[in-house]
Amino acid sequence: MTVATTWKQKLSGHIREDWAREIDVFETQIELRKMGKIEEKLFAETRLRRGTYGQRYDNGQRHDGEKTQTLRYPLAELTKGPVTMWDAPGMQRIKIPFGKLSADQLDALAELAEEYSDQILHVTTRQDIQLHFIHIEDTPDIMRRLAAVGITTREACGNSVRNVTACPYAGVCNTETFDVTPYANAITFFLLGHPDAQDFGRKFKIAFSGCKDQPCGLTNFHDMGAIAKTRVVNGEVKRGFEYYVGGGLGAVPYPAALFDEFLPEEELLPMTQAVCRVFARLGERDNRARARIKFLVKKLGLEEFKRLVLEERQKLRTDERWISFLNDLHVTDEKPLRPAGVLGSGPFPAGFEAWKKTNVLPQSQKGYSTAKVTLPLGDFTPQQARTLADMARQFTGDSMRTTVEQNLLYRWVSDADLPAFYAELAKVGLGAAGADQITDVTSCPGTDTCKLGISSSRGLATELSKQLSVIADQLPEDAKGLHIKCSGCSNSCGQHHIADMGFLGVSRNVNGRRVPHFQLVIGGQMKNNAATYGLAIGAIPSKHVPKAVKTLTERFIKEKKHSEDFQAFVTRIGKKEIRKLVDELNVIPTYEQDPSYYSDWGDPREYTIGDLGVGECAGEVVPLVQVGLAGSEREVFEAQLLLEEGNNQGASERALSAMVQAAQALTREKNAYLGEGSDEIVSEFRKHYYDTKLFFDPFSGGKFAHYFFRAYEHRGDPASKDGAHQLIEEAQLFVEAAHQCYTRIAGALP
Amino acid sequence: MLSERFQLKIYLEPSQQFELEALVPVFHRFIREQALKELVIDVVDYGHVPNGPGVVLIGHAGDYYVGSLDGRLGLVYSRKRANPAAEARLEDGLRRAINFARLLEQDSALKLRFRTNELSLRLTDRLRAPNDDAAFAEVQSEVTALFSRVYGGSVSVERIAEERGPLGIAIKTSAVPSLEALLEKLGGPPSD
Repeated sequence: MTVATTWKQKLSGHIREDWAREIDVFETQIELRKMGKIEEKLFAETRLRRGTYGQRYDNGQRHDGEKTQTLRYPLAELTKGPVTMWDAPGMQRIKIPFGKLSADQLDALAELAEEYSDQILHVTTRQDIQLHFIHIEDTPDIMRRLAAVGITTREACGNSVRNVTACPYAGVCNTETFDVTPYANAITFFLLGHPDAQDFGRKFKIAFSGCKDQPCGLTNFHDMGAIAKTRVVNGEVKRGFEYYVGGGLGAVPYPAALFDEFLPEEELLPMTQAVCRVFARLGERDNRARARIKFLVKKLGLEEFKRLVLEERQKLRTDERWISFLNDLHVTDEKPLRPAGVLGSGPFPAGFEAWKKTNVLPQSQKGYSTAKVTLPLGDFTPQQARTLADMARQFTGDSMRTTVEQNLLYRWVSDADLPAFYAELAKVGLGAAGADQITDVTSCPGTDTCKLGISSSRGLATELSKQLSVIADQLPEDAKGLHIKCSGCSNSCGQHHIADMGFLGVSRNVNGRRVPHFQLVIGGQMKNNAATYGLAIGAIPSKHVPKAVKTLTERFIKEKKHSEDFQAFVTRIGKKEIRKLVDELNVIPTYEQDPSYYSDWGDPREYTIGDLGVGECAGEVVPLVQVGLAGSEREVFEAQLLLEEGNNQGASERALSAMVQAAQALTREKNAYLGEGSDEIVSEFRKHYYDTKLFFDPFSGGKFAHYFFRAYEHRGDPASKDGAHQLIEEAQLFVEAAHQCYTRIAGALP
Repeated sequence: MLSERFQLKIYLEPSQQFELEALVPVFHRFIREQALKELVIDVVDYGHVPNGPGVVLIGHAGDYYVGSLDGRLGLVYSRKRANPAAEARLEDGLRRAINFARLLEQDSALKLRFRTNELSLRLTDRLRAPNDDAAFAEVQSEVTALFSRVYGGSVSVERIAEERGPLGIAIKTSAVPSLEALLEKLGGPPSD
């Protein structure tokens, strides 16, 4: 007879004592919440800090394509957060610091996906693993089983230091200054649960890169980014970092500011601690939309922010952990399992050479290579995970790393083993070539599982990948190397701002119906640690996006000058030219002619954003509103062109003008006598839409209106390039919000 | 059966050719029309994952997959929550799986056919049913008894050799009853 115990009993003694205690406490909090002894908001933050997130439909409502149905969860009265049903499935985010995974950890993750989730492990764009459709009451056991293999989910979500990411090639890279892994490891565990990192108004993301000009670390869009650097001091090579703060994507992306050109390695931890203290003390609390550190740095100015941090640094009590890790920087070193080798002359398994060309890179250590596993949309099964774990045991040892492009990287594959390694991969259907190339589209979860998703980013990514795979072999190398990234909304979890072609989900009212669209974002750059962010050119109906990608790719192939990359190409031909393409693709058949345009990719339900929980308000559809909104979109685009010409001031003014025009169009719905004066428009807009909360988004509240008010308040201020760029982004979002508000006023559309 | 979680798989006739994608609108329709009396929540398409779960109808107490996780195309009913009581769990799961298979067969556009005389059971609950001889011995008699009673004829119950997977059991029956007959024997479609 098998004795049924509990995971707590079974794993007793196998989990770090402090981690075991934390999980016990969380389990108790679950029980207390069930008894109504913890307030729902507090419980929500508690579970978020354990990586336990909500998912779409957890408010108990789901639009089935015809009407909104109530999902009758058993414990209908119990919630795990505001408007979040207890029994609704949720997502468990699992922090994988710098993406490093051992075979045993992968086995454990496979078991959890198999037993508690939907048979899928999902790699995120920040090197985490996510399991979806998890019941809250299963999470303590999930956490225990993870803790038993050295993984904690603590601070995977919530207002905390999130997963510390790093270049997956760190330590084996040919261009790195030095291996950043031990530093990423040290800062991960130094800040985990640190009292100075518990009281933020918002999350805090850290990234490390071994080199400045490669894309792998993407430090430019992180709250704190560190790029390895050395300096000769008194004849001795000293290690340190180019240290950045205040970067971030999200709705309005900010490039990180250079805080210190060379922060010595012994200052990495204390300086970051000081940054955390200043962020916790002075960061915004009330308005979540302005609470990331990027807003604080902007508000204070870099010099003042730096002064405050340095002042804070001086006040810190010395902590031996600041430098103790430096005594053993080899703690994260990996030993190869197999001797270095030479790739034989074949014959090779079918598909090997194509795979090797795109997925294999020589390491800095002779005779070894890295090998990337192309995971479609970052997904793989428990069975595949077990094979991947076995392959680590057979070929490389515990040196796998998840990547921000949602793949898995093996390091230390002996060159002699590459064909056998590939053959094993191919056996479980993971031998696809093209990792990180045009067919390997990155995507956030979007409307599949995310509460904030507007359009189906995964559906689009799947379709693009499918269509591009057919032509990929015929593409020239530089076109094959294009990056496509999709986000389901403006929050940029799919990192669309840094793609060659980025897409973010929006919706539009066409012919009186909702139609899924994606904004095309052009001009982003991954290299140089994501140095440049793209800007939205215009919205394309979802079903026309593949055509847009194909047309742009074909034009790039045909018209590019010799060594011109995609960014240089689009800069040369100009956004106006690309806008023409967007305009051409904007015409869609009526619903009666082809209803498929009114559904999203991979989802046959008639398209709606009703699942976002958007409120209702009665009103009348007046075509003049649409005319005004279309005019404001045009002005946003014109602002981009002015920015492109270097006219920062003109770009800022045009972006503000776009906002005023959108506000005017909407406000005329409420005040037919509204004049043309900006003061009056702002004041009336505030009265009818802001004070009444009619303009509010259920998740973002009045954020987009704040953009407008602030822009108006600061009209005429001198505009920098970055400032103009941000204002254009904000104008874009304000106009988008105006579209959504108008649709709500129209009333008929969910 | 002590295992609170398990997956029962009914295989499709191997000769069938169809696109998994075709199931997506069907599963959405099942939700819209409340074709199942239990709470079903959403549809997920994992058709892009080789040998993956395929298309999934996510439910509260159990999920339904049509995919090829073990390399063969079939329908998996995956029980996630503990109820009903241990002694009724397996039969309840079989009833739900058979009912769902019958709904799929009834969809004239899909033209799916299941083979009823071969199933597999995976106990996805390593705490209560580790993949070892003792756990297999414990569940073997229960599986044999249930399938003998419902199917009639002889029943073969063998352990699937998969070292690090969950405890897996292959079930073969000499009788090949229709899904309708099986469902009737099991008491008809589940009422909740």
